[in-house]
Amino acid sequence: MQIAVLVKPTPEGETRLRANSAGSGLDPEGVKWVLAGYDESAVEQALLLKEAVAGSRVRVVSFGPAPRTEEVLRSSVALGCDAATWVEHPLDLAPDALLTARALAHVLAKDRPDLVLVGKQAGDDESGVVGPAIAELLGIAGFGGVANLRWDAGASRFTFERPVEGGTETGESPTPLVAGLQQAWNDPRTAKLPNILKSRKAAIEKVAWSEVAAGLGEHARPTSRTVRFRLPAPRTGARMIEYKTPEEAAQQLVRALREEAKVFP
Amino acid sequence: MPEFTLTDEQTNLRDLARKFARSEMLPKVAECDRVPRFPDEIYRKAWDLGLMNLNVPAEYGGAGLGLLEQCLITEELARACAGMTTTISANNLALEPILLAGTPEQRQQILTPFCADYNLASFCLTEPGGGSDAGALTTRARRDGDAYVLDGEKCFITNAPHASLYTVFATVDPTQRHKAITAFVVPRSSPGVTPGKDEDKMGHRASSTSTVRFDGVRVPTGMRLGAEGDGFSIAMRTLDQTRTPIGALAVGIAQAALDHAGAYALKRHAFGKAIAEHQAIQIKLANMAQDVLAARLLTWNAAWTIDHGQSGTLESSIAKCFASDAAMRVADEAIQIFGGYGYMREYPVEKLLRDAKLTQIYEGSNEIQRIVIARELLKGYA
Repeated sequence: MQIAVLVKPTPEGETRLRANSAGSGLDPEGVKWVLAGYDESAVEQALLLKEAVAGSRVRVVSFGPAPRTEEVLRSSVALGCDAATWVEHPLDLAPDALLTARALAHVLAKDRPDLVLVGKQAGDDESGVVGPAIAELLGIAGFGGVANLRWDAGASRFTFERPVEGGTETGESPTPLVAGLQQAWNDPRTAKLPNILKSRKAAIEKVAWSEVAAGLGEHARPTSRTVRFRLPAPRTGARMIEYKTPEEAAQQLVRALREEAKVFP
Repeated sequence: MPEFTLTDEQTNLRDLARKFARSEMLPKVAECDRVPRFPDEIYRKAWDLGLMNLNVPAEYGGAGLGLLEQCLITEELARACAGMTTTISANNLALEPILLAGTPEQRQQILTPFCADYNLASFCLTEPGGGSDAGALTTRARRDGDAYVLDGEKCFITNAPHASLYTVFATVDPTQRHKAITAFVVPRSSPGVTPGKDEDKMGHRASSTSTVRFDGVRVPTGMRLGAEGDGFSIAMRTLDQTRTPIGALAVGIAQAALDHAGAYALKRHAFGKAIAEHQAIQIKLANMAQDVLAARLLTWNAAWTIDHGQSGTLESSIAKCFASDAAMRVADEAIQIFGGYGYMREYPVEKLLRDAKLTQIYEGSNEIQRIVIARELLKGYA
């Protein structure tokens, strides 16, 4: 089975984020970019399928600027992906979700994998557009919020679960399929040290943006742009309670909760 | 050097160690220290991820890393728990004699099966009657046909109760002191090998330390490393290699102490403001930060020197000695910043002082390090 897994570099959870000077997005300076969240779950799903279905091959694909994109591709190879494809675009292209989907679909259309795995949404902008848009552009089946995807060799179809409000749906799909993976249903593995060393030397297939842009023609540009990006205002209003005894602290806390926050009637 | 930017590979390795330390080690640190408990499941996972046997070349199943990379990993692990790091790192110390003095056949025969599975090894040099004075060791090796017979006792042996392999230093003639010391590889399964009971230690309580007795243990001549009498040199050259990561381990303790102290100083209020706003605390934090950075750069310098083919005896002794003294100072000040809470076992900083203490003692006490430093230094003035 040919599996493609699509990943996007997202800021590490502990990175301190700042808006750029234009106020249109994140300032990339000093940000540590990682494979995270839904994408990590998608890579893990790809590797589980590869282990379960003999002869499978996993290609990790990403559309993004240097150097962050190369890093998440190498991380994916260190985890066990067999090959990596990088569609490198200039940083100032600032693609929106639809352009990202078009660029990736353009590359995927060549190999026509049996299965395309994505995070159900990106860990940073959470747009959730890329997976469904690729299914639409390739004209194949697509599902989101997927967990525990398996290959039923006898019936030649995929089975999967979708955790939904109040329960779990079970679904089936023929190949080819685009599946947007839910997070936190599997326990993504950690790359082993020797595989990290090997991943640094792994060959990454590069696809030039100019080539993709030529293929996309008039669609080779973002159709939307971020007007304004701002971080949440620093939190204020915390107040330390002054007290001499624990009883006094408790009394003051209850009074504040009741009279100021009006948590209790 | 001087170039302080890590390569992508080095950053990846450091991140792997950091992730392992946070997700696997940190949740169990307090419990393993208090009980104490030897967390075999953590060590097995460390092996599985490739965080053990860092100095063993990949062809024998190790990581084949240079010292700088070993230092980056060791610091991150020790930032979570020095005791667990001691156990994880002890294989490097025990296997280094085989790397330095083993024949290609011995390395293949011993290291390949050892590294292919989760195994621990111990470096057996110290004896009840002498630690720093290694030339005075009394464990005997008597030649008997195609084997040696070992008799004696080693003490303070890291990992000994759990090890499957020991590198043992014994004398073929006690009157010859250093000149008769000989190194052997002894499987735990050899009849007559008996590890003692776990010592109840001040710190590093997640690691395991005991005596090992050798009573008439037959060791085939093929398990001798180098020639008779090479042992002292093998031991010293081994310590030249492993001293620097001990410095890095101490840096990890110091960094943890600084991390705890800095975060606490911003949270704790006194006289109407965070104690971090009082200059008395700021000066402490500034001194701690200087110690941490200086210690780290000294270990990087020593690692770089050795990785570039020099002996690095001076540099590694300076690094180990300074970093371990710095870890004591920084852990001590962290407790002071925490005040009464710092003295309580419920808080994490008193453990750091207990852990730091050992780094001044093991793998060559700091007194020995200073003698080595002075000796190397004076060569330049002779």
